Amino acid sequence: MQNAKDTFYELLRTRLAAVNPQRTIRLRGVVRPGVLVEENELLTTTALPDCFRVRWSVVGVDAKGALPQVTLQCAIDYETAGTAIHGGMDRGRSLAAMDAELAAIVNAAPRTVVKTSYAGLAVGNAAVTMQTNLWWGNVIFGKTVVKDDRLARTATVDVMAYQEDGEL
Amino acid sequence: MADVLQSGEGVARKAEATLRTNGGRAITLRMPAPAVTGNDAEQLGLAAPQYQDLVLGPAVFHKANSVKKLLVAGSAVRAVVHTLAFDSAEALFETAVGVLIDDVLYEITDSFTSQSLGEPYCWWLVLQRPVR
Repeated sequence: MQNAKDTFYELLRTRLAAVNPQRTIRLRGVVRPGVLVEENELLTTTALPDCFRVRWSVVGVDAKGALPQVTLQCAIDYETAGTAIHGGMDRGRSLAAMDAELAAIVNAAPRTVVKTSYAGLAVGNAAVTMQTNLWWGNVIFGKTVVKDDRLARTATVDVMAYQEDGEL
Repeated sequence: MADVLQSGEGVARKAEATLRTNGGRAITLRMPAPAVTGNDAEQLGLAAPQYQDLVLGPAVFHKANSVKKLLVAGSAVRAVVHTLAFDSAEALFETAVGVLIDDVLYEITDSFTSQSLGEPYCWWLVLQRPVR
C-alpha cells in the first residue's frame, strides 16, 4: 500500500509542477511544488494555504483475485485566503483556480501509472519500478467551507492498486 | 532611570529580572533543520528529520505544579527570532517542534504575549505533554 501512496504523491507533484509551476510552497526552508502528504511531514506543520495537502483515509482490500486489490481513498485538503493585493476579495477565484488545477492533474489521461517502490531512497538507493500499475477514479469535490478568512475544500480520489507478493 | 523603566524596554528588563529571581531557567527550543532541496526521501517520510536546538531563557512555568503554561522573557524570544530571521515570534513557535525541558519534549499548542506600550515583554507558551 505504501508504494501506491508514494507513487500517487510523486505523480501529483510532477503533474502539478507541469500544470502550474508557480504553485509552490516553502517547507523547512525548501521551495517545492505545492503538494505535500501530511503523514510524511512533521506534526507541527501547520495548515498551509494555497497548496494541496494529501491525507490517506479509508483503505479497502478485495482479496478475491489472484492478487489482493487495494483501494485507498486519497483526501486532498486545500484552502486559500486569496491575495493580499486584492484584500482577499479574490479568494473565490483563487479557490476556483485550485479546483481547476486539481481536476487537471487528477483527471488527465493516462489515469494509470507504474507502481514504484521508493523504499530504497532511505539508504541511498534508487527507486525501483514494480510489476503492476495503479489507477484512480474521478476527483470528487466537497463543499466549500469558510475557515475565518480562508475558503477551504476537501476533494477525494479513489486510488486502486494490486498488492504484489512481499509488498508492505 | 525613570524614563527607562517607563518604556517598553524597561518593562522587558523588569520582566526578565522577575523571571530570573523566580527560578527562571534556560530551556531548549527545538526547531526542524532546513530540508534538502529535491530530496524525495524527505518528502516521502523516509528520511530522519534533523533538528536545531536553541537555548531560550529565562523561562518559568506559570504555576509550580503545572506544566501547561510557560513564561519566557521577551528579550530571549526576540533574540532567537532575529537569529533565525523569522518574520514573527508566532511563526517561530508554529514552526518549532517543541520545547525540551529536562529531556522531555513538550509540544507548543499556542503562544501569546503580555505587552507594555505595544512591546511584548513576556511570551506565554501553552504546552502539551508528550503522549505516554
